[in-house]
Amino acid sequence: MTSMQFGLFTVGDVTPDPVNKTIQTEHERIKNTITIAKKAEEIGLDVFATGEHHNPPFVPSSPTTTLAYIAAQTEKLILSTSTTLITTNDPVKLAEDYATLQHLSDGRMDLMLGRGNTAPVYPWFGYDGSKAVELTIEHYQLLRRLWDEEVVDWEGQFRTPLQGFTATPRPLDGVPPFVWHGSIRTPEVAELAAFYGDGYFANNIFWPKEHYIRLINFYRQRYQHYGHGEPEQAIVGLGGQFFIRKNSQDAVREFRPYFDNAPVYGHGPSLEDFTAQTPLTVGSPQEFVEKTLTFADYFGDYQRQLFLVDHAGLPLKIVLEQLDLLGEVLPTLRAEFDARRPANVPDAPTHAARVAARNAAASSLVEPVETTDGSLVEPVERMNA
Amino acid sequence: MTRIVAISAGLSDPSTTRMLADRLVESVERQSGDVSVEVVSLRELAHEITDATLTGFASPRLQDAIDKVVAADGLIAVTPIFKASYPGLFKSFVDVLEADALIGKPVLLAASGGTARHSLAIDHALRPLFAYLQALIVPTGVFASPYDWGTDGTNALGQRIDRAAGELVSLLKGAGTGRGPSDDIDLFSDTFLSISQPH
Repeated sequence: MTSMQFGLFTVGDVTPDPVNKTIQTEHERIKNTITIAKKAEEIGLDVFATGEHHNPPFVPSSPTTTLAYIAAQTEKLILSTSTTLITTNDPVKLAEDYATLQHLSDGRMDLMLGRGNTAPVYPWFGYDGSKAVELTIEHYQLLRRLWDEEVVDWEGQFRTPLQGFTATPRPLDGVPPFVWHGSIRTPEVAELAAFYGDGYFANNIFWPKEHYIRLINFYRQRYQHYGHGEPEQAIVGLGGQFFIRKNSQDAVREFRPYFDNAPVYGHGPSLEDFTAQTPLTVGSPQEFVEKTLTFADYFGDYQRQLFLVDHAGLPLKIVLEQLDLLGEVLPTLRAEFDARRPANVPDAPTHAARVAARNAAASSLVEPVETTDGSLVEPVERMNA
Repeated sequence: MTRIVAISAGLSDPSTTRMLADRLVESVERQSGDVSVEVVSLRELAHEITDATLTGFASPRLQDAIDKVVAADGLIAVTPIFKASYPGLFKSFVDVLEADALIGKPVLLAASGGTARHSLAIDHALRPLFAYLQALIVPTGVFASPYDWGTDGTNALGQRIDRAAGELVSLLKGAGTGRGPSDDIDLFSDTFLSISQPH
């Protein structure tokens, strides 16, 4: 049992290495992703999450294929996404794919839903991008029902109606995968997470912290409003990024050409300005630990910290070296975060803990359980569902 | 106290755009007793404005300038005219403002140019831009060419400055649109209600 989970999240971009003037093939990039995920388990990380994209220069268009392959080669690692496109994927297929992954990984998975940031993806999948928020809400409400209810009658705006439909396989142990909602600008997504008592994730990599603080505080307040607990008990995840070397100056010198040419912030602000203004750390392991610990000061004690490491064209060798260095300071990070953590802040969600909580709740109840959509389900039926 | 911010996009130092901004500021102060005016010079923020267009967030210094513009009761926007329109720096600054930053805000538009043939740029370039932003645009725009700074003996530029500044002052005193940007989240919008009341 770990109170806070640490892990990696990857965008899955194929970016030219500006130093070595090389570029990975798609095959190399996909295989390297597997190597990085296995390395994550080796150094003691808890989570590996992959993005979902449907256009070059990105390779991860089929997250559950990749995650199932990783699950087969790991033992403890939780497989997740960053993010799964709730807007343009069919909720029925999402329910099926991720429930299958849940069975194959023996519950070592969850998923993070997001809207995505590539406008043309909507028409490619037959949707209207101007309806992104409405799609997010309707698709998630359907996904929720497909997992929470055995037989679903459903009709909505964006999808063919369902009559007497059962999504298979049913969730492992009758407990659906934990859901995070990732958003960096949309209060409606924070509201959706709060309403269902789901997790909320802010990628926390590109912008100053003030931007994310507002949304996370809103989510925490709404989590309380919907009766799931106190604001500080809401389930929060954050991103982060770093480049570390034993010697701070070495880190800056080695990372600068990658930073200066990076797809997102390259050719813009200086490395020094960007590290001062955003959560990026480029420096010594100690500097990295210190800056990461400040996240809890700004956002409150939280449950999941994911790092972006394999980006900006960094070669696999350097990424693995970064992970070795991360592994060395990971025990310190865990100890420091645990030391400051109040007792009423919940642990990070795991399948085992959620099954145990469900069983405890069901055995203490003689009355039917009210599900999130208001329908009544017998406790025993939920347990065996 | 009414707060006015003058945005000057002059690229040189000294700059005739800044001179024009200063003349407008002086006239507004003269015609409205209770006013504080601050000048935001975009030249000093040029790198940070470019960075913000690439990263999507403003540096602390640029954010401070943006906050002042958003909080102002009225604006004086003064830009040079190059090649028949405002320079990219001016547009980039407008681009990093939130879409609703200038809704309902009284704005005096002014421009300087190297030739009188640029004079309609206020009406064909600046006015549509601020109309898109739903600003409340002062009827008189003030264009100054080198000829206007000379001694033609009529002080036509001074008269235009006073007229435009007077119009800005009277807009600040009363009218307005009663609209403005809002940071509030509308928990009772249809979208929000569709979350808490799934069908």
